[in-house]
Amino acid sequence: MNGTNLVNSLAGLLILTSLLVIETRRPSRAALLYAVQSSVLVTIFVVLAYLTHSTQLYLWAASSFVTKVVLVPVILFGALRKFDTMVPLPSLMRVAVVVALAAVLVMGCSLIVAPLKLPAAAEFRPALTVSLAHFFLGITCIVTQRNIIKQIFGYCLMENGSHLTLALLANQAPELVEIGISTDAIFAVVIFTVLVRRIQHKLHSLDSDQLMTLKG
Amino acid sequence: MSLIVVLLLTLLTTSLAAFATRWLGLWTQRAVETVHLSGITIALVITGAIIGRVLQHETLFAVGRWLFVDALGAIFLGLVVVVGFLAGVYSVGYIRYDLIKGEITPTVLSTYYGFFSLFMFAMCCAVLSNNLVMMWVSIEATTLSSVFLVGIYGRRTSLEAAWKYIVICTVGVALGLYGTVLVFANANAVMARPGDAILWTEVMGHAKSLDPATISMAFVFVLVGFGTKVGLFPMHTWLPDAHSEAPSPASALLSAALLNCALLVIIRHAAIVSQTVGPEFPRRLLMIFGALSVGVATLFIAVERDVKRLLAYSSVENMGLITLGFGLGGPIGVAAALLHAINHSLAKTMLFCGSGNIVVKYGTRDLRVVKGMLRLAPLSGVMLLVGFLAMGGIPPFNVFVSEFLTVTAGVKAGYAWLMVVCLIFLTIVLASFVRVISGSILGPAPAGVARGDPSALTLAPLAVLLGLMLLIGLHVPGPVVQLISDATATVLATPAAMAASKGP
Amino acid sequence: MTQTDIIALLAAAVILPFLAAPVSFVVPRFLASIVCAASSALSFAAIFAASVGYTMDGKQAFSRDLVSVHGIAIFGFTVDRISVLIGFAAGLVGLLVCLYSVGYMALGNREHPEVGKPRYFFFMQVFVSAMAGLVFSSTISGQLFFYEATGVCSWGLIAYYDSPKAIAAGTKALIVEHIGSLGLYFAAAMFFVSAGGFSLSALGGMGPGAKTAIILGILFAAWGKSAQFPLHIWLPDAMEAPTPVSAYLHAGSMVNIGVFMYARALLAAGNVPHVVGAIGAIAATFTLVYAFFLYLPQLDLKKLLVYSTITQLASIFLALSLSTFGSILAFDGGVAHIFNHAFAKSLFFLVAGCLSFTTGTRMMPKLHGLLAEMPLVAIGFGTAALAIAGVPPMNLFFSHFAMLAGGFQASRAYWPLLILVGISILEAVGTFGWFLIKFGDAVPGPASPAVAGATALPVTMAVAVAALVTLTLASGAFAAAWMG
Repeated sequence: MNGTNLVNSLAGLLILTSLLVIETRRPSRAALLYAVQSSVLVTIFVVLAYLTHSTQLYLWAASSFVTKVVLVPVILFGALRKFDTMVPLPSLMRVAVVVALAAVLVMGCSLIVAPLKLPAAAEFRPALTVSLAHFFLGITCIVTQRNIIKQIFGYCLMENGSHLTLALLANQAPELVEIGISTDAIFAVVIFTVLVRRIQHKLHSLDSDQLMTLKG
Repeated sequence: MSLIVVLLLTLLTTSLAAFATRWLGLWTQRAVETVHLSGITIALVITGAIIGRVLQHETLFAVGRWLFVDALGAIFLGLVVVVGFLAGVYSVGYIRYDLIKGEITPTVLSTYYGFFSLFMFAMCCAVLSNNLVMMWVSIEATTLSSVFLVGIYGRRTSLEAAWKYIVICTVGVALGLYGTVLVFANANAVMARPGDAILWTEVMGHAKSLDPATISMAFVFVLVGFGTKVGLFPMHTWLPDAHSEAPSPASALLSAALLNCALLVIIRHAAIVSQTVGPEFPRRLLMIFGALSVGVATLFIAVERDVKRLLAYSSVENMGLITLGFGLGGPIGVAAALLHAINHSLAKTMLFCGSGNIVVKYGTRDLRVVKGMLRLAPLSGVMLLVGFLAMGGIPPFNVFVSEFLTVTAGVKAGYAWLMVVCLIFLTIVLASFVRVISGSILGPAPAGVARGDPSALTLAPLAVLLGLMLLIGLHVPGPVVQLISDATATVLATPAAMAASKGP
Repeated sequence: MTQTDIIALLAAAVILPFLAAPVSFVVPRFLASIVCAASSALSFAAIFAASVGYTMDGKQAFSRDLVSVHGIAIFGFTVDRISVLIGFAAGLVGLLVCLYSVGYMALGNREHPEVGKPRYFFFMQVFVSAMAGLVFSSTISGQLFFYEATGVCSWGLIAYYDSPKAIAAGTKALIVEHIGSLGLYFAAAMFFVSAGGFSLSALGGMGPGAKTAIILGILFAAWGKSAQFPLHIWLPDAMEAPTPVSAYLHAGSMVNIGVFMYARALLAAGNVPHVVGAIGAIAATFTLVYAFFLYLPQLDLKKLLVYSTITQLASIFLALSLSTFGSILAFDGGVAHIFNHAFAKSLFFLVAGCLSFTTGTRMMPKLHGLLAEMPLVAIGFGTAALAIAGVPPMNLFFSHFAMLAGGFQASRAYWPLLILVGISILEAVGTFGWFLIKFGDAVPGPASPAVAGATALPVTMAVAVAALVTLTLASGAFAAAWMG
């Protein structure tokens, strides 16, 4: 298996792990699975760095390891562990439907990616497709899950998807750019967890259906 | 050190100092108010100096050209800081009432002011950014720094609004990142140095050689993504909730400053895509989103009974109108849109702060309960009355001028029928505002509410804003005209403007 | 007097009352009415001086741009025979009404006993200013600006008494007038697109398509202000306003804005496409008949006057529209009628105000034998009623005659127009009879109890009524001579 194929198949693995994150019931386990997924992502970064001889990407891999494999899962694990015992809320969709949806998303995204002229990522087109699909899978998770903790994970998945896109298309961008994006992501996760705890404190529920008093 | 950096550092320092005052115990309130007021005053002065330089036809760069101010940026920077200053002064008067009523504690006070300056810092970064990805990072940062402003009261509804706000906006803005990255990737393939391909000024210079399909796709992502933050239909659903639940000065900041920041990012990308695939494509998209926003928001305005939600929908409507103006294009359309952005910001800051006085006086936002404001709090009442009329497009106030210019641009662009429809919508909006005036400001006052206006600190910003609105309505000041006409040239990428914006 | 002097005077006429208006809020209450009367007097004095200057210079029409952006004139003044004539009438009626208000807005008023609040005088003065600005405006953007401004003033003044009915009436007026202004928005935008500017003088050089679109836009806006079907609905409700306001806004000035703008557009356009004239004439005739039948059953004097105003304005619209078929006489008659009607109808409204002030009622069945108890009011009533009826030598007789004669002139080219002229004559005859009856009911004979118990009339009110009686008698000849 050459490097390009490796990247593309690793990207496929991302989808698989994200389905696991979506469907796992206990928040602490989801946080661990998220760490697993992020390590897949970091591996992709390393392989990409090796293939493109980009020192930049090695840096990205290092910083992603710190933020995505360690920091974010730790924050999530610490903050959400106490919700493990809560009765799980039903999802709006069954597992089979979510899996089917993931397949549809991948196909749809390949249509979006097809007309793009991107010499930098010509050989990684499948990976690019997956990264976009992964992003939309994150959105799907946010939309379909009633549990607001799952919505946080949806955000994290979405973020991983866009990060992969960034690595494929913009790996020559200055390192500071990547740091900026990662910093935003960490702060977002922190804010999400703080809000979740406040909501739980006030409403005694994590059901997003309870957050429907305003008319939108 | 560049003025731009000084401005950003001022706001960041103010924010950190404000957060730090929470440990001062009894001194917290006085200390945080002092820090806050001096911070925003210094920011206002520095911004004045920056805009003064831009008026000399100078484009300021800083931090390796990652930050810059051209005429277009200067307009939006001015909006952020002027709105921030006035809403900041108003905050001091307004939040004191919350403190007295026990809605918040002194510790929360430091948090509020800390996030206030941090939010302004993020918005300034967004409008000053020349780096396409940093634009995105800053817009995301505006969401993160304002979430707690929205949820500051910790009530059930405010937490709900904060949650919706952060979820919808992070998702939306993340879509925008795809647009940004596609632009960078494409520019990077064309341009020699990757460090340049990330700079808006450089990409603009090479926009003609980019790939049309990629850039078109990128613009769709940008428009939907950042359009969420602008509050364009159908991505506007977070906006009424967040605007109505935030403290009134924060609502003013959200509506009058934040929405414009996101719009600026769209406009900068529209300028690129206009070069690459021709202006027709972005103009059509902007027109569709703009016109739909105007139409749908109008219907909501007509039935809304919560004063701040009403104003929030009015923001959707006005952002739609501004977007429509950019979509109509041409020198008049763009100038009309820019002028309307200024006018809307001033008027909406005034009205949101004024609605704060309603909340202080009546303890509710429900217009069915609020009655006889003019009798009860004459100064607030009369200013709100005038503000609502001005926002409805009545001369001699500013909104009239830009709405008229927008209609003119539309007729000139050959969309007379669309303009007639828009005018009908604007009439409905005016009718709704007049109904608010008739129902809540005029008429007899209810028994049991104490007479008298809130403190001078909550009145002075309104008076200043009203003065500015009247000034622009009677005669748009020279510097504003110059900025708008220079910015219009930038948006339309006239050769002279392209040459002027070249960095060192 | 140089043209610059005239322009300076007109600018003063616009700016002075506007600057004086906020003073109402800071001076003691009794002074606010005096300030209002004084500033409107100064404003009229400036218009008067400008009119004299214009006449002495041999009535040389000219325009001057005052505000330009990027070389495009946004606002300016046009001084010609129609703007001076109508500006003079609006200014004079404004002065007399402000004077009248000093007495009327007082505790002695039996219908509304209260001292005028500052905002009454504020809106009154802003209105005086806006009216002058609109009449002399040389650009369509200026017209739009002041059109909206007068709309807001009328809202503030109609809603003045703060009763739910008054507030609703004010809101209705603002919205309906704003709907009318959409036509003006549209016309102004079209104007810019076709001519690259806003100066009304450019209308003459446009193609027939643009001309038609623009004048129809203006005509629509004119219907809104001049209360023509279907945009007339706000005017009857607007009678909730204090009566001096009705006299000024709903008879002497604001309702004339519509017909005036139409006249101004027709004059600037020169050769007007016939479709404009046809639409204007048919709509006017319809309104004429409609409003005529509505005014017959009215018992409230003010309501009667409202519908009468609508018919009078409709006949002016008819005459102006017919003038596009080639009759200068109809045009001149129409403009003169605006002038004459302003005085006669303001007089009538002020008389109605005197009656509610002194007797506390405006219901005509209660008002008989005015001559016996209050001769001045009776003379005012009689003069106004006879003028509206069109009895010579009252002013409206002359202009109405000119309008009808002009109508016949136009019909010579297009015979179907005769039908419209015929309807107009029938309406004139009907009005003649009806107002003679009203005159006979109210003026001679023994006083009814309400009239017998009347209180005294303040001096300022009496002065205003007396002045308007004189003007109603004299203005006909003046207008005829002026329009030549």
